[in-house]
Amino acid sequence: MAFPYEHEREVRILSRGWGDPSARTLEGWKALGGYKALEKSLSMSREAVIDEVKASGLRGRGGAGFPTGLKWSFMPKEKTGLQYLCCNADESEPGTFKDRELLRWSPHQLIEGCLIAAHAIQADHVFIYCRGEFFEAVQVLARAVEEAYAAGFIGENILGSGISIDITVHSGAGAYICGEETALMNSLEGRRGLPRVKPPFPAAVGAFGRPTTINNVETLCAIPHIMTHGGAWYREQGTEKSPGTKLFCVSGHVVRPGNYELPLGFPLMELIHDVCGGLRPGRTLKAVIPGGSSVPIMNAAECEACTLDYEGVVEAGSMLGCASVIIMDDSTNLVKQVRRMVDFYAHESCGQCTPCREGTQWMARILRRIEEGRGTEEDLDTLLDLGDQMTGTTICVLSDSAAAPVASSIAKFRDDYLALIRRGERVGAA
Amino acid sequence: MVETVTLTIDGLEVTVPKGTTILQAAEAMGNRIPHYCYHPGLSAPAQCRLCLVEVEGAPKLQASCVTTVTPGQVVHTQSESAKTQRRGVLEFYLKNHPLDCPICDQSGECKLQDYVHEEGRPKGRSREPKRVLGRDDFGGDVLFYGDRCVMCTRCVRFMNEQAQDPRLTVVERGNRSVIDTFFEEGVEGSPYAGNIVDICPVGALVSKDFLHKARAWDLDRIPSICPNCSQGCNIELHVRDNLVQRLKPRDNPDVNQHWMCDYGRHRYEWMNRSGRLLLPKPGEGRHAGGNGAGDIALAQSLPEAGSWESVLGDLADLLVDARAEGAEVRAVASPFASNEDLGALRRFVDALGGGRIVFRSPRTDEELPLPGFPKLVRRRDLAPNVRGAELLQMSRVGSDDATGGLDDLVGFEGILVVMGDDLDDMAPDFGAAARVFAFLGPQVPRQLQAVTCLLPTVTHAETEGTFTNFEGRVQRFWPGLHTHGEARPAWQVLDLVAAAVLGDGTVPESAAEAFQRLADDHAVFQGLRYEELGTRGALVNDPVPLPGA
Amino acid sequence: MSETSSSSGPVPFRNPGWAGNTGAFDLSEEQVRGDDYVGVRPADGGHASGAATYPYMKVEKSPEAPLFEGPYRERFDKILSRYPESRAALLPALNLAQELRGHISPETMREVAVLLDLPEAYVRGVTSFYTMYNKRPVGRFLIQVCTNISCNLCGGDEVLASFLKHTGTELGSTSADGDFTVTEVECLAACGTPTAVQINSRYYENVTPDSVPAILERLRKKGE
Repeated sequence: MAFPYEHEREVRILSRGWGDPSARTLEGWKALGGYKALEKSLSMSREAVIDEVKASGLRGRGGAGFPTGLKWSFMPKEKTGLQYLCCNADESEPGTFKDRELLRWSPHQLIEGCLIAAHAIQADHVFIYCRGEFFEAVQVLARAVEEAYAAGFIGENILGSGISIDITVHSGAGAYICGEETALMNSLEGRRGLPRVKPPFPAAVGAFGRPTTINNVETLCAIPHIMTHGGAWYREQGTEKSPGTKLFCVSGHVVRPGNYELPLGFPLMELIHDVCGGLRPGRTLKAVIPGGSSVPIMNAAECEACTLDYEGVVEAGSMLGCASVIIMDDSTNLVKQVRRMVDFYAHESCGQCTPCREGTQWMARILRRIEEGRGTEEDLDTLLDLGDQMTGTTICVLSDSAAAPVASSIAKFRDDYLALIRRGERVGAA
Repeated sequence: MVETVTLTIDGLEVTVPKGTTILQAAEAMGNRIPHYCYHPGLSAPAQCRLCLVEVEGAPKLQASCVTTVTPGQVVHTQSESAKTQRRGVLEFYLKNHPLDCPICDQSGECKLQDYVHEEGRPKGRSREPKRVLGRDDFGGDVLFYGDRCVMCTRCVRFMNEQAQDPRLTVVERGNRSVIDTFFEEGVEGSPYAGNIVDICPVGALVSKDFLHKARAWDLDRIPSICPNCSQGCNIELHVRDNLVQRLKPRDNPDVNQHWMCDYGRHRYEWMNRSGRLLLPKPGEGRHAGGNGAGDIALAQSLPEAGSWESVLGDLADLLVDARAEGAEVRAVASPFASNEDLGALRRFVDALGGGRIVFRSPRTDEELPLPGFPKLVRRRDLAPNVRGAELLQMSRVGSDDATGGLDDLVGFEGILVVMGDDLDDMAPDFGAAARVFAFLGPQVPRQLQAVTCLLPTVTHAETEGTFTNFEGRVQRFWPGLHTHGEARPAWQVLDLVAAAVLGDGTVPESAAEAFQRLADDHAVFQGLRYEELGTRGALVNDPVPLPGA
Repeated sequence: MSETSSSSGPVPFRNPGWAGNTGAFDLSEEQVRGDDYVGVRPADGGHASGAATYPYMKVEKSPEAPLFEGPYRERFDKILSRYPESRAALLPALNLAQELRGHISPETMREVAVLLDLPEAYVRGVTSFYTMYNKRPVGRFLIQVCTNISCNLCGGDEVLASFLKHTGTELGSTSADGDFTVTEVECLAACGTPTAVQINSRYYENVTPDSVPAILERLRKKGE
């Protein structure tokens, strides 16, 4: 049975087992070459593993795009006690739905990646922090971990290497903010999921007070392939600065939304019109959010020449984030969608920092008023000013994320706001 | 040798120990950076976002409460970006704030008022309805007004880190978050919970006892020492209309850091007691009159008040006679008396030939330490100067409720001096056998009918002086209340009588002189100078903590 | 703009949340996946590595269920063995308590606090932070409709309205027969198959307002 999301231009590396239930099993995964990379990596020194990952140029897939090999090298050279690897499977960024597929279709790929990474950073224990809502994916993953334990891939003295690594699957309980790495650690420790002040950075003081590295599911899933084929091979895909393939989560107003694994640097318009089958009949493109709800909105003109790599999207006026491409056609009530996103941030703000706690809710209220036709032009200035106050002033970047779609939509789609304001003025609602 | 770091804050160079934060460094040079969540006695979560300052070279504004200083750092607290940030954050704080300052107890000492007044926007821009949470009774003395809360979480952290009785938490998240306890279970019974009212920077946590009692700007704040146990916590008396309205802790890192216990905090009413002895009065000698039926009846049963000169003159005459006949002298002191008073009593008794001085002190079995600062303990001795009395060779008698223990004085036939102890538990004829029975104290003694003379003295709240705490730390207190009638410090009364009896004219003219004489007389106090005690006190020579204090 | 789209044909699947093209919503989990591989994890948690996960598969809850006895006690002990400090077991323990009892009452918080030697207020603070803990009893079927951006663009609000209409409830309240509680939920990470709905532990994807009656019927009848 073919997986529903599939296109001939895809380069399926991470997603190659998708749609095939047998790939979920240990035997099936081994048939696809699974756990060879683990064997190879365990025979290498940890420094050599990190060098290989550095050579691949792999960048973190959680949104920030920080080079993975470099991140690993921040861990202490001399181990003084327990160290941890946390796998961030708390996928909750609106528009993002790649990690769930990776977890439930190729759990062994993730396990293998976790083990290699744990070896590279000398972690004793891997915690896979899964989003609480992922009941099915967690079941699949837990089952796979169990199988890998039984087969000796996890646990004491793995494959006779003398290296011991444990993996625990952990379920969250419904909080977007726990996808932020320090909040994730707090949540893992059984606390409220509040982001921590940095420094100290997790590589020095992380989960349970010990050196910790946090990597996204997709990042870790790429590791076995890099270790099998080498960093140079990985660089054959993608661009110079953004090498490799990326899972693009396309949602919204296209004919075939879905996950598509494409080389970084893929042109946005080709993604929409070729891979995803274009817009719904008779519609024109209005706006695109290229990296999940936290990044600035792009208008149709900006999309024209945009290539989907970390640098290309920045050039076009936004950010790649986790490559969650949300497509909006001309039928979209943009103000409503922006309001919905800000509602989300207001709901998910942890409430620590004042600008975020008060600002997200305030913005949501103003946007609701504008949507209902009770807004004024002054409100737009207030929104922009609040956005400034919420950007770069808090512990984590949730409030920046809330401000980004507001500021960018007012800048690029001011007429949409004005239309609602004018309509309200005409009927005297304000 | 402490490693130091030199940096520049607002154009001024400052050198501070390594590891200091920017906020502390600025404070050291008198530059107070606005903040809510930071408190020197608690961890810093850096969440109020008010203390953000511009640090040259840093891409974003830095939270000064958690950013440690580095050599050559250049900090701007008044740059346009820092000021814009503060103005913005303050507007966020006011977004849901009820602005009920006219009925808020914190008004006048509120950090939100202060900061907004200094740097806030003249007019808020919010047109949205405000969130309404209402009032919640946290139990004990604490009331919570959720709408005024700025979510600094100082109270939560105090209960977690200092009281280590984590009964407070933040409930919910985001804009819905609010401070709360475990449902109906409040902070009742937590012995240090009152401190959360002190550290609340706004009027969210207020004291029930103080609720709507006085406005902050009407209060005089007088540095003092808590008189309710031998810990000697540094406090302020907050006074209006010559009445103590509340007690607040005053910082002293050697004694109580920033805190005080609820037991001490809530025992101030006695300083405001009526029924005071207003004028010196001769007693009726071995008079029969009086039936002990209350202050007024007793006051009326006594002869007319005299002047200090005549009453003290008469007393001196009686004492000269008694001394000539070789009468013994005994005294009852009080652990609520100052070192100066106790020293004068010691000197007075010694001058009359020497004799035993006893005191009675209320005492409890229970110690109440503050786990986060274990040096702070509500001590077993519930009086401020037990240590001082013991250092002057006075002996503790009686039971733990400060009664009994005076049986050997009942039929005593010599000179009896009672200073500061009401002797309310004794029979009305106590001291009837004494040749001379002088009573010094602030209150009219309700029971005693056999006194030779009643000499009104001031309480510690009305005068200056020193107490010696459990570990031998001598600490000053300052006068906060006007004295009643013609009451005088006990040391002055005793010294005047002693001078008259001995014909030796050196009477100290101030508490400082009285203290200096004490220091000269007694080796254990030698070397201490009143002026040098300052606001943090100094240890006596060879300080040994009171056993079981 | 739309010329390429017309050649693409209809969407070839309905409900990929169930591991492939399952057509409508009427197949059981076992029929879709085979229960040999993706069954309900055993009550005792199976291997300790997965004991802290959150199956939440039971429809019938008992607010009186003890914390924890029998296989659940075993699972709780396995959970404790996986973390360097017992506080970390708080979320898994609350998950387990909710799996048994259906919601986290103050009494449950107190019991969990005692089990883990944590302050009660702390447990309340943590519980209230996470939205998946039901602070009040909910219906046998907790229907959570995603109305976040991707689903909203494709009609999430209408699906929510349809659920409310067909269950006859208001947002957040439970139907008279105790079967259904309908709430809004933030992004479920199934944006490619809008609208995504989570009912108890199961995802329903590509839900349209018209498919709501069939889903409710199936729930009433088969209890899953």
